[in-house]
Amino acid sequence: MKRILAALCATSIGLVLLVLAGSLPATVASTVPIVEVDQAALRVLQSRYRALSKQLSQLMPGQPYIVVDTARNHLYIKRRDQVLLDALASTGSGTILDKPGEAKGQWIFDTPRGEFAVQTKLVNPVWVKPDWAFVEEGLAIPKSAADRIEPGVLGEYALGFGKGYFIHGTLYPRLLGKNVTHGCIRLNDDDLKSVYQLARVGTPIMIF
Amino acid sequence: MPSRSASVVCLLVFLLVSPVSIPSAWSADLENTLAIDLHDPAVLQEATRILTEEVKLAARAQTYVIVDLVDRAVVIKGRGAELHRFPIAQWSAAHLAEVSTMFRLQARPPVSRRKIEPAAGDQPPVSLDDMPTDFTLTFSPSLSVAVHPSASEDFWRWLRFTGRDWWAWLKGWARRLATGTEPSAQPVVRLTLTPHDAQSLAWTVTEGMPFLVRRASAETS
Repeated sequence: MKRILAALCATSIGLVLLVLAGSLPATVASTVPIVEVDQAALRVLQSRYRALSKQLSQLMPGQPYIVVDTARNHLYIKRRDQVLLDALASTGSGTILDKPGEAKGQWIFDTPRGEFAVQTKLVNPVWVKPDWAFVEEGLAIPKSAADRIEPGVLGEYALGFGKGYFIHGTLYPRLLGKNVTHGCIRLNDDDLKSVYQLARVGTPIMIF
Repeated sequence: MPSRSASVVCLLVFLLVSPVSIPSAWSADLENTLAIDLHDPAVLQEATRILTEEVKLAARAQTYVIVDLVDRAVVIKGRGAELHRFPIAQWSAAHLAEVSTMFRLQARPPVSRRKIEPAAGDQPPVSLDDMPTDFTLTFSPSLSVAVHPSASEDFWRWLRFTGRDWWAWLKGWARRLATGTEPSAQPVVRLTLTPHDAQSLAWTVTEGMPFLVRRASAETS
């Protein structure tokens, strides 16, 4: 009997919450106030709005620019609103790796977000393996720079955009569309060639 | 000769008239970015406010977010260009009049990252599925944007979120009853997004990211 009563109470409270949830109260009336302006003031406002619209439009890149969607793993090249290229990509895995010998030091393998620019364009790039590439595999970090060089893994081209991050090729095209890299952006051979041909040093790269 | 002169005159007239007569969708877009009614003073004032702030953000190398309560969308932008858009199914807000400036996100929603064990082989990466579908973004200056799924898509999360809102309201009411004073106006915007879009938004935002809120004249949609 007690259980039935408890269940009925809980159900009633739930129903009341459900009914009232459709009309959450505002604590204070806070609508944006209605503006009454005369015609001259309206014209000034219209003029200001048009000027700002034009100004904003002029801030958009006039040349083709690169957009990287790290959530859906796509790279686009766009000119204004037109999509010139839609490429499947791989971006950062978001995993972390402890730095040896540092109590709180970690590498975080994210593709950086924000706006960058193409800084370098390379043909037949060679991978100079950073420390994490050895630590990740349980190997000792080499003392000689020559021991870090690994050719043939980055594809035919690479476009650098700062702090060691590149758009480059991949030996594993089956992993495209997944977040599997250490921060760089990987493309298949054909798309990489298109990006290399369309982009210049200074081409904006917007990553979100 | 006369026919040649006539042709030249026609060509000149055509060259003079065509820039005026041929509709230029691009120049229309340039001057009405938000596609608003230019004769509605309230809409115009709000749109002008947003553009004034957006021009400052677009002038710098950064991405930013516009929570557009008029067009019901969360828009990721950079340099004035739209990068991605999430539709808002429903929204409500309190103290919208306080939301008149640019806000910076204090922290993105927490995500548990997997740690790589050296020589242990591949580790499963972080993906969209790891992101939360309901969360609250807090900003400086003070603003909260609460994101949650609709009741039809995730009833228990929706119930928990609604219950939390009601509990906050009850506490505020009890405080007013006890002290006789109004609490300070803390603007809040509540957004209903699909679980996938909520996870996408949680993925996309970064600490310090600028946000703008384009206000509507009503308090709910």
